[in-house]
Amino acid sequence: MKHTLEMRNIVKRFPGVLANNNVNLTIQAGEIHALLGENGAGKSTLMQILYGFHSMDSGEILIDGETVRLGSPKDAIALGIGMVHQEFMLVRRFSVVENTVLGLREGNGPLLDLRRASEKLKDLSNRHGLALDPAAEVGLLPIGVQQRVEILKLLYRDARLLILDEPTAVLTPREKDQLFGVLRKLREDGRSVVLVTHKLAEIMEIADRVTVMRDGQVVATREIGSTNGQELTRLMVGREVNLRADKSAQKPGAAILQVEELRVRDETGHEKVRGLNLEVHAGEILGIAGVDGNGQSELAEAVMHLREIKSGRVILKGADVTRLSVALHRTLGISYVPADRRHVGSVTEMSVADNAILGLQRKYRRGIFRGIREARESARGLVARFGIRTGGIDFAAGKLSGGNLQKLILGREIMRGSAALVVEHPTRGLDVGAVEAVWGELLRARQEGKAILLISAELEELLNLADRIAVMFEGRIMGVVDAAGASVEEIGLMMAGITAPGAAAAGLGNKEAHRGETL
Amino acid sequence: MNGPQFAMTAFVVTWLTASLRLAGPVLLAALGETFAEQSGVLNIGIEGTILLGALTSFLVSFYTGMIWPSLLAALLVGIAANMILAWMYVTVRASQVVAGLVFNVLALGVASAVYRKALGNSAVPESIAMFQPLHIPFLGNLPVIGPVLFGQTILFYLTIALAFVAHFVLFRTNFGLALRASGENPAAADSAGISVYRMRYAGTLISGAAAGMAGGYLVLAQVGLFRESIVSGQGFIALGIVIFGRWNPLKATVAAMVFGACDALQLSLQIFGTHVPPQLLLALPYIVTILAISGLFGGKAVQPAALMAPYIKD
Ligand SMILES: Nc1ncnc2c1ncn2[C@@H]1O[C@H](COP(=O)(O)OP(=O)(O)OP(=O)(O)O)[C@@H](O)[C@H]1O
Ligand SMILES: [Mg+2]
Repeated sequence: MKHTLEMRNIVKRFPGVLANNNVNLTIQAGEIHALLGENGAGKSTLMQILYGFHSMDSGEILIDGETVRLGSPKDAIALGIGMVHQEFMLVRRFSVVENTVLGLREGNGPLLDLRRASEKLKDLSNRHGLALDPAAEVGLLPIGVQQRVEILKLLYRDARLLILDEPTAVLTPREKDQLFGVLRKLREDGRSVVLVTHKLAEIMEIADRVTVMRDGQVVATREIGSTNGQELTRLMVGREVNLRADKSAQKPGAAILQVEELRVRDETGHEKVRGLNLEVHAGEILGIAGVDGNGQSELAEAVMHLREIKSGRVILKGADVTRLSVALHRTLGISYVPADRRHVGSVTEMSVADNAILGLQRKYRRGIFRGIREARESARGLVARFGIRTGGIDFAAGKLSGGNLQKLILGREIMRGSAALVVEHPTRGLDVGAVEAVWGELLRARQEGKAILLISAELEELLNLADRIAVMFEGRIMGVVDAAGASVEEIGLMMAGITAPGAAAAGLGNKEAHRGETL
Repeated sequence: MNGPQFAMTAFVVTWLTASLRLAGPVLLAALGETFAEQSGVLNIGIEGTILLGALTSFLVSFYTGMIWPSLLAALLVGIAANMILAWMYVTVRASQVVAGLVFNVLALGVASAVYRKALGNSAVPESIAMFQPLHIPFLGNLPVIGPVLFGQTILFYLTIALAFVAHFVLFRTNFGLALRASGENPAAADSAGISVYRMRYAGTLISGAAAGMAGGYLVLAQVGLFRESIVSGQGFIALGIVIFGRWNPLKATVAAMVFGACDALQLSLQIFGTHVPPQLLLALPYIVTILAISGLFGGKAVQPAALMAPYIKD
């Protein structure tokens, strides 16, 4: 498809939601076209229509002026369209190469030829600098590598139009640069890319044109040269957003959450947390920086006892909770917002209202009955306070857009009123308006005296919110710095395993100093 | 050879021969069920399908006297009946457990009605034409393993061959990969351009064909007659075998042998006389099945992730 693709007057209605309302979009050959819009604006829906995943109610899709039928992804693949979904579409129990050839008919007639496919895959991954082991089981790979699999899947299929739905949300800065390198090369080949993202800087960096959506409609399409971040924000949210958190100076109180010499293994038996110590005080946000996969998730899960702890202690308000159940953790006053909102954070088949009180059933109890009215009242409050876009509180949570589901879970955990809060990637995939809201909520919780452990891959976020930033590398804390005086370079070095002079890592990092690479 | 030793050898030979003989039909049904479950469909309807297959093969054999066409007829009826089941499971997205159970009740009703109608007044023979145990020269004369391994009917060897074929298809072909993807993550399969519906229809129909044939196997190689109680839970035993076999045809083969051994043990013990109450012995294979299905032995961890989850687009 070295040509123009056009979507005309696309309308898509879900029960209770008009997801796409007369959308027009043109994508030229050899361009990187960014798609921007608030959570729930209808970006994923539009792209899934283009990929044949959703049917449209009305409208037309044309390639070079000719109407094409996209009844299923199969049609789209045949037309050279490929998509990396916001929530990856990988068979976790299959190997990388099995995922790659899935659905293809090539080579040996009906027989699988995994050896040849692996060769081809290795070739592709070398050519694009996306290192990958074809035989690895996908479910055990870190999320950044899973995305590599998704992208190689498209390259393997020789897609001419690549749709990437928020690909950078889960990537580290370096992985992002690598991805953008690949995208630029694809553009030179004359391929087209649609990049859905919330990050304005990325759009300004790589896109040729950008289309902004709001409430299911296209508000504007702009050449990158003739616009700027402020204008795009205004088009998207309808107002100026100043992403700068105003953190009030405040003295942290007593230690609420302590972790001592913690050691944790992952599914494959590798030690992911290796003797880690930290302390979070009341009214303090302790940020954990680090490249994804250095044990941050395992740390969070171990603190909640969602994961088996090999040795070490977790202390909450002075009491040892290491071996207590997850439910007890929650009752004792610690809340958790996991990174995986769809599978861990929510029950996607249940309604927004039910998800909003998940784990709080006791609070809304009248004898053996549920206090339905109060529960619904509080669900409505949550939806309003966090600006969750939903077709109503009886809407199935699984049908919320990615960003709105995140707001729902975060809102629920914050409103529990626990003394300690463990938050993983709270703004991943959120639009700027929502990021502003979430930041505000986290700071409010801090002001209320909560102890917050904030795990994030966004340095920007950590520098804005945290009081202190601890950098994790290969399961250890490389150093802890004061957010106020911290430099991005220093943190970046520690993220790569190099202790910068001056960091409070006394005696920890020297061994590792030669190991990492610079960012 | 002295007396007790001779009796012991006779017991072992009878027992093992019967084990393999009894393992045949359930293994066949389990092989088909593996395809259904790998595609994401729990086809409980194989119990009823086996019954319909048994009836069909009995009637065809009764009227024509030809055994291979009887077997083929059972297979076709199995496919036809499972067309309805597939429609319920995949298109209507009914609860798979409920649809399958209702189907089994229905099949029992239909089978008895048809049997009575067809054979109303005719005299039922002692036995219809059947597959006979093979006599393989030389190999068949080996002590113990001769009669056990080389004295089965052709259907047994066919079933073992099918186990290898099934394994190959599931794990070495594009179709198998697509089928398993539909049972693991239907959205991902769909996104890769696979028609999940088609795969699940295919899985269900394959299990129907195999179950129909298993019914034919029962009648044409083991019983020689039709009775309403001829299946008596063998479909459920096949479900247990699939679980014990970890959704893998070759492991299912081993599992089926173990089940066959349990079943045969109770038969042989009854013949040779023991002090164990016969009811308890009769229950043995079913107890093992319940244990298998209960998931007490793991299983949950390896079962197709989207088993029983209907796939809904939009
Ligand atoms: N399968 C579905 N059934 C019902 N409603 C849906 C479904 N999928 C999406 N929606 C609704 O359609 C609207 C648009 O959702 P969409 O996922 O396209 O948003 P988005 O722009 O991609 O948002 P985000 O940035 O959060 O990913 C939302 O209100 C969402 O709740
Ligand atoms: Mg989206």
